[in-house]
Amino acid sequence: MKTKLTNLLTAGAIAFGSATAVHAQDQGLLDTIIERDSLLCTGHNGSYLGFAEVDGAGEWQGFDIEFCKALATAILGSPDKLQIIPLSWAQRFPAIQSGDIDVIIKVTGWTMTRDTELGLQYSRPYFIGPFYVMSKTELGATGIADLEGGVFCVNAGTTVERVLTDYMETNGIDYEPLAFEKGEELRAAFYAGRCDAIAGFGPFLSATRVNADNPDDFEILGDVLALEPEGIVVKQGEDDLLDVVNWMVSALLMAEENGVTQANVDEMKANPPTASVGRLLGSTPGVGTRLGLSDDWAYNVIKTVGNYGEIYERTVGEGSRYKLPRGLNNLWSNGGLLYPLVLD
Amino acid sequence: MAIEAQAPPPSATGPAVWLRKHFFATWYDTVFSLVFAVLIYLALKAFIGWAFVDAIWRVENKDLCTHDAGACWAVIESRGRLILFGLYPYEEQWRSTLACLAVIITIALSCLPSFWSIRRLPILWIAGFATFVLLMRGGFAGLELVTSEQWGGLSLTIFIFSAVFVIGMPLAVLFALARRSSLPVIAKSFGFFIDIVRSLPLLALLFAAAVVVPLLVPDWLQGNKLMRVVIAFAIFFAAYQAEIIRAGLQSISQGQEEAVAALGMPYWSLVIDILLPQAFRNTLPSTINQAVITFKETSIVTIIGFFEVMASGNAAIGSGEWGNQYVEVYVFLALIYFVFVFGLSRYGAWLETRMRLGHA
Repeated sequence: MKTKLTNLLTAGAIAFGSATAVHAQDQGLLDTIIERDSLLCTGHNGSYLGFAEVDGAGEWQGFDIEFCKALATAILGSPDKLQIIPLSWAQRFPAIQSGDIDVIIKVTGWTMTRDTELGLQYSRPYFIGPFYVMSKTELGATGIADLEGGVFCVNAGTTVERVLTDYMETNGIDYEPLAFEKGEELRAAFYAGRCDAIAGFGPFLSATRVNADNPDDFEILGDVLALEPEGIVVKQGEDDLLDVVNWMVSALLMAEENGVTQANVDEMKANPPTASVGRLLGSTPGVGTRLGLSDDWAYNVIKTVGNYGEIYERTVGEGSRYKLPRGLNNLWSNGGLLYPLVLD
Repeated sequence: MAIEAQAPPPSATGPAVWLRKHFFATWYDTVFSLVFAVLIYLALKAFIGWAFVDAIWRVENKDLCTHDAGACWAVIESRGRLILFGLYPYEEQWRSTLACLAVIITIALSCLPSFWSIRRLPILWIAGFATFVLLMRGGFAGLELVTSEQWGGLSLTIFIFSAVFVIGMPLAVLFALARRSSLPVIAKSFGFFIDIVRSLPLLALLFAAAVVVPLLVPDWLQGNKLMRVVIAFAIFFAAYQAEIIRAGLQSISQGQEEAVAALGMPYWSLVIDILLPQAFRNTLPSTINQAVITFKETSIVTIIGFFEVMASGNAAIGSGEWGNQYVEVYVFLALIYFVFVFGLSRYGAWLETRMRLGHA
């Protein structure tokens, strides 16, 4: 109701050529965050491997948490101004509507229902969630088709179950499904040899593999069962905040593309090798004011969390326990699906 | 026909006789005893081997933790503080410990009969909760402010349980008396309310309190999430406990009430001096039962994002490093629950004996 009203007002105001009047009347969430001087971001009620975990000292870490930090740094200049609110999966959408959180960064797939009916707005995907199949090395399978007739274990009632069924039906592969309620049970069954293969989200499979007594006994196959593009979610109508989110993701990718890292960002800012790096890091002004932020926001972000590749390697990639290959989450120039927007 | 005098039964005592009488009286007793002795021996041997003999205790030896080895208690050394304190800031966890102790001491003191007076109990609990909240929340005298979103672990579990019990119990008495009221409007509407609450799942109720209330109620009336959840939980507890108390009230004969009326005693005296003591005594086993169930149900709050001890346990195994040690963590959690719940039920048993003595 309120969003419709706002939209109507905005439309009317634009028609009369004075969009600013509306902004003055209805304070956007971005301004609220700046005023509150803290960003409320999603955590987890437990953990989601690689994306949101709690270390021994009770500190949050993981891929999603790094993006929360990046956003807090972009808007408020410091990752300490971030408040992680623990939430279950089911809670995230009501919580963003009621204002308990400002953004959802919680491996949230971009689906039509969520985008249209729940009154949410998605950023461009910041992670391409792949579903894979892992099998025993001794079976010598190179693709899913080689496992015809085998026992496939999955978590009951999850997206994975549906995705596996779809894939097998489409490709006409016979298999025997075996469902488990909890991740622990699924793993134990796989280690014990009850399953020829398990299907699941990339990081879960990697964790299962590295935790085996002998990780080389298991192998993640290259075939992708399905993709889920994960976006950062804001409430419908928070355009200013969404702009910041989109450009934050883009800045992280652009930094990687141009070789700007946490280590060399100071040097790059002082002597930008190209004009676009200069614009990105605020050596040439303009990157901040257009978003309502300071001109060094992207510099601060990279200084704090590094570029996209560094975040990936540190939390789920080679530098972490999960050793999840970049795969589709690589830059377009390296065979992936990610690309920065144009910073002019 | 006269009954012939018989020799008294042999009055043998001693362990051998006791054993024969209880375990080897007949041939099938012997078979069952032997079979179960073997089973118990095997189970104990396996458990002790796993939990103690082959166990790996220190984080330094983490590499030895494989699927064939014994229990990997290193996970408790590494993640124990996360399980006990949840997301509470690491440097400030001594406050959480003290706060938790304050509530445990309050519970222990209120179990002592010398504190059972209408004046002492409320003072004790207000002091206990105030200490807890002040310590946990901080924000004064140089203590860092820690909002309730960051509270967690065992102290949160115990806080939720005791708050639900302490708020819920008076409510339950109120509901039970209202349902037995002689005014049909009150009796019917409270009866309806109790039945509604009882027919809703606790999960749905808590979810509504945490998530739906902020969408409907203006900001100033919302309070914080923990408060809303505790109140919703307390109402749920009260609805069940009210029915238990009502059963106790109905077990008291009508004559007593009539006698009280004949003596001209006021209503509150009837309730406090005559009805409630007897009702509580008669329903003590069910009340302890309800308390135990409530303690265990506190783990449901994890679904609305509270890091009570169960959720902290899940977070502890939710890392790539310790993902395989879930059995150890669940055993550790079971032990924590066992200590509290067993203590509670032993206390209930002690109370029953004591009250029976008082009654006699």
